[in-house]
Amino acid sequence: MSELNKLYKKTILEHNRNPRNYGIPENWTHHAEGLNAVCGDMVNVYLTIKDDVLQHVNYSGESCAISMASASMMTELSEGLTLADWFERFEMFKLLMSKDAAEDLHYETLGPVNNLVTVKKFPSRIKSATLCWYAMAAAIKGEPTATTE
Amino acid sequence: MLRDQFPGLNIQVHGKPLVYLDNAATAQRPQAVIDAVNDYYLNHNANIHRGVHSLSESATELYEQARVSLAKLINAPSHKDLIFVRGCTEGVNLVAQTFVRNRVKAGDEILISHLEHHSNIVPWQLVCEQTGAKLKVIPMNEQGELVLDDLDQLLNEKTRFMAVGHVSNALGTINPVKKLIQAAHDKGVPVLIDGAQAMPHLKVDVQDLDCDFYTVSGHKMYGPTGSGVLYGKAEHLNAMPPYHGGGEMISKVTFDSTVYNAVPAKFEAGTPNIAGGIGLGAAAEFMMKAGLDNITQRDHELRIYAEQKLNEVSGLRVFGTAKEKAPVFSFVIDGIHAHDIGTIIDHYGVAIRTGHHCTMPIFQFFGVAGSCRASFAFYNTEQEVDVLVESLHKAKAMFT
Ligand SMILES: Cc1ncc(COP(=O)(O)O)c(C=O)c1O
Repeated sequence: MSELNKLYKKTILEHNRNPRNYGIPENWTHHAEGLNAVCGDMVNVYLTIKDDVLQHVNYSGESCAISMASASMMTELSEGLTLADWFERFEMFKLLMSKDAAEDLHYETLGPVNNLVTVKKFPSRIKSATLCWYAMAAAIKGEPTATTE
Repeated sequence: MLRDQFPGLNIQVHGKPLVYLDNAATAQRPQAVIDAVNDYYLNHNANIHRGVHSLSESATELYEQARVSLAKLINAPSHKDLIFVRGCTEGVNLVAQTFVRNRVKAGDEILISHLEHHSNIVPWQLVCEQTGAKLKVIPMNEQGELVLDDLDQLLNEKTRFMAVGHVSNALGTINPVKKLIQAAHDKGVPVLIDGAQAMPHLKVDVQDLDCDFYTVSGHKMYGPTGSGVLYGKAEHLNAMPPYHGGGEMISKVTFDSTVYNAVPAKFEAGTPNIAGGIGLGAAAEFMMKAGLDNITQRDHELRIYAEQKLNEVSGLRVFGTAKEKAPVFSFVIDGIHAHDIGTIIDHYGVAIRTGHHCTMPIFQFFGVAGSCRASFAFYNTEQEVDVLVESLHKAKAMFT
């Protein structure tokens, strides 16, 4: 499979076409905006957190396929997790996206999110994948915005 | 062939021949420019305007000769009307802070256009913050052309300055700058023209335009990065205070007072980008030898061909369809984000820019976050247009 086909895997294209948990929900308890100043990408994350558990995770925004799919998969992975478990997965995700990590790095607990592993070979696109995660971390911490710069 | 003189075009990307269509971001440089830069470092490496030794004298001569070449290229009355700067950004900021800032007060207006690059917006916003002046904007239409219907009201008794781009980097629109300058002068308003994107494509004659200031970006006109010149009318330059303080811009310093050097040295504090200036002079010579008429003709052919081929791609929408435009194409394709297109076609060797191109207000007008931009130079070919179009079809296939 070419590098390009590995980047734009079926799963990623499918999430891009049918993003899960997409749109602004009626109610939420936490919200943050993620901004990529360089390319103008923007993603908004909306959370309902109760007793330290992520009950609902939604997002909105208009961005590239990598960013859309990453956010879509992140919301699916996150719902139902405790905050502590979520931050553990965030750390794994950061490693998955790190340029020095093994090409075939895989974390069972990240599930479909592992499909993004090839992004790290496209340095200019890593931020597309990570923006939503940083926005969600900001939302949990009660910060209004996250930037990738 | 002129193209053969650009060694930077002969490389492979992902195993494919490079198709360089990001010329509006920065152009490739001809061998003559690379040689001039090398020659300075190899054979004339010394500081300028300082030493009495031969090496310093020959470096100074090369640097000043470059100024003369640039003056010739834009038909300035004298090479002394040209100030070496880092690029257009510095040129605009210099004028904003040393010419405009102390002429405006709260309630006055500075007029720009909707088509400006951020570097011809933000420096004026800074002056507005510093003085309480207001920024006014000449509007644009769906074609990406400036709408001049209300120019008479926009240029009013409060207007102190006008700053307009010659050619839009995002859409390629060639603005009717001569007409704008005349209209401004009729109201006594001085004008700066941002020439970053005009220089690589058009014959520029600052005396014919009668602009008060004209900014030139070296790296867009086949010269080195970090080089550029600001042209200003002598009467303005002589009256303006210095921009930066330091060496070279003075004739006498005591702790009580300093006497400034004459123009252009007054504006050239510190050791400049000597190699860059010399390389830029070589770029000017290269363009005059290639012939601006030939360059403009080639641009026109490429523009017509690319326009036709891009319009044949279904689902593709071009922003900016001005009657007068440079070979710059901003476009989106239904269902595929610009960054994804950029990444995919890069794998076929095609280099374009994606995003807002430092012109966010233009894309706010069109209601999109950004676009793909294919920007051509005279050395591009019809065959490269075909490769671009084929690669766009590949991107579309991948996403359906
Ligand atoms: C229209 C326009 N103005 C100004 C600039 C800034 O020029 P420079 O890179 O020389 O500072 C650019 C470059 O992106 C441009 O396209």
